[in-house]
Amino acid sequence: MKFTAENDKERMKFVDFWSKYVMEHEDKEWSRQQNLVINSCLRSTKMTKEQFLSMKNEDKRQN
Amino acid sequence: MKFLSDMEIELDRELSDLDIFALDFIRILRKYTRYAVVSGYVAILLGRSRSSEDVDVIIEKMDFGKFSGLLAELKEKWFYCLNAENEREIFDYLKDKFGIRFARLNTAIPNMEVKFAKNRIDEVSLDKTIRVKLREDDILISNLELNIAFKEKILKSKKDLEDARHLRNISKGHLNLTAIKMYEKMLDEIYS
Repeated sequence: MKFTAENDKERMKFVDFWSKYVMEHEDKEWSRQQNLVINSCLRSTKMTKEQFLSMKNEDKRQN
Repeated sequence: MKFLSDMEIELDRELSDLDIFALDFIRILRKYTRYAVVSGYVAILLGRSRSSEDVDVIIEKMDFGKFSGLLAELKEKWFYCLNAENEREIFDYLKDKFGIRFARLNTAIPNMEVKFAKNRIDEVSLDKTIRVKLREDDILISNLELNIAFKEKILKSKKDLEDARHLRNISKGHLNLTAIKMYEKMLDEIYS
């Protein structure tokens, strides 16, 4: 429980740190770094539509 | 990032793969209907340091004929619907208030999750948009106050609370705090 609370606090601290960085730097600068996270995440995740819809619990929905 | 007014933000960012995908889709979508990008991608577009496998979009309701035209152009530009193949079936998902997802052919991620506006809050999303002016094109997002209220009041996951915090931080001095309270009240009435 203590670990989770500490972890949440650290994550929020990073959100504050990063949003300050975004505000204080040129868009090109922060977005270049942000894109490393976004692009590597998208390029490394390979899923079929069936796997994706199942992950989202949308594979068995009925009209 | 420059807040030009409460309806316009200028952003000189490098485009990510997710931005390019979203822009390609939106360039087709906006020919057929009003739209507003909502939720996680709003925070990501404005700098949040995370990725997402989907981009949520609310669109105005349209009839089957118009929707069929949209589907035809999406197909022509190499998008497909993950949920169904039959046009009528896809349209019925939307009419039944489900989201439908579109990705590039032979992929599942990233995808656009499209929903018809279904209540007063969705109508506000469509009516009160912010134009994010990128060097390459514009993207309409629902206003930040509503995004923040929705994430803090309804969604409330860690990820959503962090998104809301990021949006509050980067728009400090430009946010209408009274509007956030008003949206919280509206959300309470609709979702409780």
